[in-house]
Order: sequence, then C-alpha cells, then structure tokens
Amino acid sequence: MALLVLDNIAKVYEAVGETIRAVGGVSLAVEKGEFISIVGHSGSGKTTLLSIIGGLCRPTSGSILYNDSDIGALDSDGLAKYRAERIGFMFQFASLLPVLTAKENLMLPLLFQGARDRSAKGDGEQKAEELLRRVGLADKINAYPAQLSGGQQRRVAIARAFMNDPEIILADEPTGDLDEQTEEDMMRFFQAMNREQGVTFIMVTHNRDLASRASRQFSMTHGAHEELARA
Amino acid sequence: MKNRFSLFSFALKNIRRKAVRSTMLASAIMLLTASIVFAVSFITRVHSGISLMTSRLGADIMVVPTGSRGAAEEVLLENKVKSFYMDGSVLDRVRNIEGVEEVTAQTYLVTLSALCCSVPESIVVAFDQKSDFIVRPWLTEKLGRPLKKGEAIVGHESAFNITVGLVEIDSMLFGNVFRMVGVLDKTGTGLDNAIFISDENITDILRSGTAGIKPGQVSIAFVKVRKGYDPKLVANAVENNILEADAVMRKDIGKRIIQTLRDVSGIFTAAVVLAALLSGFLAWTVFSAVANERAREVGIMRAIGARESDVVRLFLWEVFLIGIAGSVLGIIGGTALSVMLARSFILLKDLAGDLGIAVRALIAVAGLIGGVAVCVIGALSPLRRIKKLEPLGAMKEA
Ligand SMILES: Nc1ncnc2c1ncn2[C@@H]1O[C@H](COP(=O)(O)OP(=O)(O)O)[C@@H](O)[C@H]1O
Ligand SMILES: [Mg+2]
Repeated sequence: MALLVLDNIAKVYEAVGETIRAVGGVSLAVEKGEFISIVGHSGSGKTTLLSIIGGLCRPTSGSILYNDSDIGALDSDGLAKYRAERIGFMFQFASLLPVLTAKENLMLPLLFQGARDRSAKGDGEQKAEELLRRVGLADKINAYPAQLSGGQQRRVAIARAFMNDPEIILADEPTGDLDEQTEEDMMRFFQAMNREQGVTFIMVTHNRDLASRASRQFSMTHGAHEELARA
Repeated sequence: MKNRFSLFSFALKNIRRKAVRSTMLASAIMLLTASIVFAVSFITRVHSGISLMTSRLGADIMVVPTGSRGAAEEVLLENKVKSFYMDGSVLDRVRNIEGVEEVTAQTYLVTLSALCCSVPESIVVAFDQKSDFIVRPWLTEKLGRPLKKGEAIVGHESAFNITVGLVEIDSMLFGNVFRMVGVLDKTGTGLDNAIFISDENITDILRSGTAGIKPGQVSIAFVKVRKGYDPKLVANAVENNILEADAVMRKDIGKRIIQTLRDVSGIFTAAVVLAALLSGFLAWTVFSAVANERAREVGIMRAIGARESDVVRLFLWEVFLIGIAGSVLGIIGGTALSVMLARSFILLKDLAGDLGIAVRALIAVAGLIGGVAVCVIGALSPLRRIKKLEPLGAMKEA
C-alpha cells in the first residue's frame, strides 16, 4: 500500500482577468522510502504541488490519501497536526525566524508539538544540536540568522525539517544557494536519512545531477508531470 | 541554567525586537493604569474620609445658622478656620422638637489676631461639658476628667501648630491665659486642628472683647435623635420651626464635598476614558503592524505544525506581557502619585485616614485588570487577522 496517493490533483488560481492552472491533473502514488526528484521550469507548478501534498493549501479538485486517509477531509487543526507529525518542509526561500537562534529555530516545531501533547519528545535541545552538527554547523548553534551566511541559514532550515522525525520531507529547491561542495554534503545527508531511517523525499531541484540520483525522477511542465526515470 | 525555550521566551524576544514600539505601547498602558489607580484612590479616600469623620462626630443631626452649612462643613471636614453664630435660644427650641433626645452646643472662636492670642490662627471650640457627647469620648481617652476653667486641650494636629509636644504650658487666648493640659488623639475630623475649652470661659473671653461674638451666641448644635424617630423628619421639623437655623443630617454631612467630588470624578472619568481609547488604539496600531510584518513568519510557523491557537497564544503572550509591564508600572506610579498628592491636595490633605493596604491592593488589581484588558481589547482584531494568516505564506518569497 502506498504511503501517499495523489488522484488527479489540480489547482487553479483565479487571478485578475485570468485563471491560472498551476497544477493540472497530477496522479501519483508514492511508496514509503522512495526518493523522488522533480525538475521543471520556474512557474511549472512544482511549489504548488508540494504545498498541496503538505496540506498548506487545498487542491481545486482531486484527492490526496495519506496512509489511506483523506487529507482533504481534515480541518485546520487536523492539517496542522498532519504537518507537525508527518511532514518536514524545506522551503524555497529563507524561512528562519530572525529572533531565534539556530538551535531555537530547530526547537520551534517541537514547541508547537509540545503544546499539543505534553508527553511529546521533550524540548529537543540535544536533538537540535546533533542535527546542526550533521549539517556542519556545530559552531553556530547559538548564532542568530543575521549572523549566518545565506548558505548557513539554508542548512539550519534543512536541519529543522528533520526535527519532528517526519515521514516525508518536502524539499523545494533546498540546495539552490549552496556551493557545490556543501550541496553535495547535503545530498549525502538526505540520502543517508532516506536509507537509514526510511524517510521519504520529494525534492524539487534545478540540478540535473542531483535529480538523477533519486529513485524516481519527474519533470513538470505547465502543471503536468511526466515520469522521466525510475531506478 | 540557561533559559528554557518556550512560547513565553519567544514572545519576549519578539517584544524586544521592536523595543521602541513596545515601550510606547507599555507607556500608554502605564498612563492608563496610573490614572485609573489615582482616580479610584482619590475618590475612595474622600468617601472613606467623610464617612469616618461623620461616624466620629457621633451626632445624628447638626443644626447651624441658616446659610452656614458650608462653613460648618469646612470647619468639621476640612479644618478651615471659619466662624458663624446663632442665638443660644435655638438650643431650647431644638430640645422641644419631638424626637430629639440630646442637644449640645459648640461655639467656635477664631484666634484671628496676634494681639489676642499667642497661638497661630486656629479655631477654639468652647463646649458645654454638661450636655456634651461629642468631645467627651475623645476627652476621657486622654484626660480622664472634665476640663476645668482656664484649661485647654489641643487637637492632634494643632499640637504641631502650637509647638510640638508643648503641653502644660500657658498660652494666651483672647486675653486670657490658658493652661494646655493635653493633646487629643487623632479623630480624623477637622476638629483635630482646634483647641478645646469649657464654655465656662466664655464670659471672661467676652469681657476681653477680642473674640468677636455676642453674649449667648453658639455656632453649632449637635442633636441625637431618639430611638424610633426618623432623623430626616426631625431635621425637617427643625428647619420648619426654626427659621434662623439649618439642619444637616449625618448622612448629608460632606455632601457639598461629594458634589465637588462629582465634578472631579467627571474629569477623572474623562481622563481615564481618553487614556483607554488612546491605549486601545495604540495596541490596535502596534499589532496591526505586527500582523503585516510577521505574516510570513506566521505562515512558516503554521507550515511547521503550529495550530491557529498556538499562534494566537504566542501573540497573546506578547499582548499580555506588554499590558502587564505597563500596568505594573502604572500601579506604582498611580499609587505614588496618590500618596504624594494627598499631601498637597486641599480636599485630601484635611481629610482623615489614609487608604489601607487591602484597599490599595484591591485598587491595584482593578488597575491591572483595566490596563491589561484595554491592551487585549485593542489588539483583538489584529489578533484575529494573525490567527487567520495562511500557512501557504511560507512557500512564497519574503
Ligand atoms: N497564490 C497564487 N495566486 C495566483 N497564482 C499563483 C499563486 N501561486 C502560484 N501561482 C501561479 O501558479 C503557477 C505555478 O507556480 P509555482 O507552483 O510557484 O511554480 P514553480 O514552483 O514551479 O516555480 C505560476 O504561474 C504562478 O504564477
Ligand atoms: Mg517554486
């Protein structure tokens, strides 16, 4: 049974004077532990698709089943719980909270989870430090985002996505502004998490080489997807 | 130990990030709370002062010369130095009115001129020791016997005026030498500033011609009403039967002050309402700006698992912290102001009794609730907007 089943997902934006079909009829089944890459021109609907999978917005039509339950049936709190427990996001753009240190930014997801469930996982201080070490920022644990380079901020955001032990990582161009070496380090980190802990990845990237290392490769054009390769 | 990371510490960091703005809002709340605390303290103090003093006077009705009601209250409540007289025959006419149990008279002499007296300007109360029921309770506490002719006992405050602790020393009053035999305890009435003598001395004082009264005159008659009689009816009977006298019921004593107070209260209320509107508006402005500035941050928090209620709680912490900080400062300021101004405000200075700790604490709590509530109410509509911010904002460029 697939972890995630998208059935004919479409998203239409009503802009002034025109309707934009950002995603048009995507059907896809994702198995647990898969590493999926998506390439595609800017504006082809990649971010929109990730948003729908992550429960950040609702599709105009179609349905998403997660572990056989319909995400579309969840209310606002239900979606928040789904994101808090199942999903790890790596956003396309800078996403750290400026008033929090690197470590606090990592602890934030657990803070919200703790508010929901007092027995949940402690405050995760050690886990945050461990994850920051794994992305090469052992010496920046207590640094504020403003004190970090763009690439370092990006790595903090990458580490944060793993804090809640997610089943799926939704990564939107996560290595876009990293140098080649760091990008390679991060990709290795992803693959390790994928292999060792069975974390499922759906990663949007412009880097063909990285894309080709996924277990399944898709491309998107004008909201439609096409499977390019399968390992 | 390091501070644990919590919604509270997160909120604190958010407040500090716009320190000037947060301080401005807190200052407005401070102003509001200070004015609430000050106004309520002031009004409570005047009311409790008046009721304390009327209960100390121990008379049901006060009979004064027609038109002298205000002057009498000024003497009794505000320890102003005033004189007013009516003919002593009024006493017997009052005694004859149905429902009157006891009547006693006091005559107020003003030590106006430095020629007649060796004390600063004050009131000398000559009272009839046989019928007296006003001064006696104060007197027995201190002296344990009636005053003799040529003796005077001084009120608690006037002891300071004469010379601190100066008793058993002779003073010149209206050309007569008096021996100061004691100091009364504080009664909380205007009479704390008076000097008390027996009315047996009046003949001698009249002879000196320095007191400005005519033989047989008195200033006030205090009346006790017989059990079962309505003081209001007795007072009406006094007014109807004795044209040259006004009757003031115990519960109406101080009404003039309370009326003045009503105007003051109006001003206070206007100030408090204005401060509340200002603070509420400022809270609205600040948190509207916050809603705009931090829309994307809220989106990110929502995207990584925060519920709407988590977001609301975070921002409520911010509202509360600013509100509480402002209110606490306001309580301190308002209380300090009311203590300080009590000494310079004529209306308060001369009234007895300060507010107790319990009352002050109660007023502080009221101030805290008022200050925080206005902050929360002002921030309510921006908070509702923040609550509804979409998590999708996280996916967009800043
Ligand atoms: N909130 C929105 N309102 C209107 N149009 C949108 C909105 N979000 C995205 N779009 C449009 O949908 C299309 C797909 O956008 P997006 O998913 O961000 O593409 P990609 O991530 O592949 O660059 C684009 O044409 C974009 O302009
Ligand atoms: Mg995109």
